Parts: sequence; C-alpha cells; structure tokens
Amino acid sequence: MSDREGLPGIRHKLAERLFHWLMAASVVALLATAFLPIVGIRFAWLPLHWTAGVALTLLVLVHIGRAGLVNGLAAMSPRGADLVEVGRAVLGRPADDLAPAKYDAFQKGIHVAVLLAVLVLVATGLAMLVKIDTSLWKRDPAVLSDLSWGYIYVAHGAAALVLLFLVILHVYFAILPEHRAFLRAMIVGRGPALARGGKS
Amino acid sequence: MELLRYTQDVFGRKMLVGVNWDLVWVPVAAAGALIVLHMALRLWRQRG
Repeated sequence: MSDREGLPGIRHKLAERLFHWLMAASVVALLATAFLPIVGIRFAWLPLHWTAGVALTLLVLVHIGRAGLVNGLAAMSPRGADLVEVGRAVLGRPADDLAPAKYDAFQKGIHVAVLLAVLVLVATGLAMLVKIDTSLWKRDPAVLSDLSWGYIYVAHGAAALVLLFLVILHVYFAILPEHRAFLRAMIVGRGPALARGGKS
Repeated sequence: MELLRYTQDVFGRKMLVGVNWDLVWVPVAAAGALIVLHMALRLWRQRG
C-alpha cells in the first residue's frame, strides 16, 4: 500500500488512517460484545471483549504518542474560533471567514468527547482485567472493595453508553454528502486540507 | 427507572454492581432524535 505522505492533497497519513479504522474495528467489537448479550444474544463475550479492549488500549497509546511526538496537538485543540463556529452553525450562518482549521469545531468536539469516553473505558477496563483469569494472571478481585468495584462498573457502563451515542452520531455525520470528502480522505488519504475557512 | 443496578452481598447488604442496562436504549434514542432533528433542519434550510 502506497502512503504518498508529503504529497499535496494528503489529509490523513497512512498511520492515522490505520489507527482510525483499527480503532473503529475494536470499538465495534467492544460495543457488540458488551451490548448484544444485554439485548438477549447470548455468546461467550468476555474473552472477545477484553481482548478487543487490550487492543484498543494499545492503539490509544500509540495514537497519544504520535499525537504528542509526531503530529502535534495544535490542529485538534479547541480554540475560541470553534465556539464562534458553533454559534454560527446554530444560526445557519457561514463560518468561512473564521481562522482556517484542519478540523472544524464539530470534528474537534466529537474527538474530545470520544477521547474522554475512551479514556474512562480504558482506565476502568484495565482495572477490571484483575477480575478475570487469563493465561498471564489469576483473578484477584480482593485488590479493591466491593464499593470501589461498583464505582468502576458504573463508570465503565456509563462511558460505554456515551460511546454508543457518539458512534451512532459519528457514522451519521460521516456519510452526509457534504462530509463525504472527509470520509474519503480517511480511506484513501487524499482530501481537503482544511475543514473550515478555506477551499482546497 | 433506576439508573444503577444493585445486588446483595453474602451479608445481605446492598451492593452497587453497575449501570442499569435497561438504559441501553437511551443513547440509541437520543442519537436517533438528534439525527432526525438535524435532517429536519437541513431540509428546512435547503428549502429556505
């Protein structure tokens, strides 16, 4: 697979595209193994769930490393212009005169929301690994009190419900005709350099 | 509807065990409502 990084018109590098789709696969696997048994579809969900969770954890660590060391955090950091953009969108007014940005306010917004939900899920999920037997360790639920485990389960479940909400919205907005260039860029790399304030 | 699930430990005390899974429809319904609202707004703006 050719990366073509550095060429004009490349919005997302191969590493970021791979991260996105591997994260999508792991999140779908996690949501499916979490919620299908709840709605009555019975199967051995736990091994699949924790394996996908560990995979997601590793992906997130790599992504955080790349964001901090390679890509930088500036493009995805919310700024004042993003609030103005949201206000204009609510009023149905254009935002083309605002500061040019690779990611618009809504892309940054869902990124922050997914980031928070996933960090809670990863942190609580990693803690819950001590309650299962694997080939690497034996379960030891006594490391925390029942009440502490209760709080961890509540945080994990609540974050999972939030993530389900965000995933549904993300898929809907990604397939809208006006956003399709960004979806295509996440598949092939080539796409608009800016999501706000410029035509490219 | 209860937001949380409880059980009883071996001593009969109330024990928190997580979110009430009857709430699983809430994010689906909320996302669906937002999508319908957005589609209606798009349609209204396209006509206006």
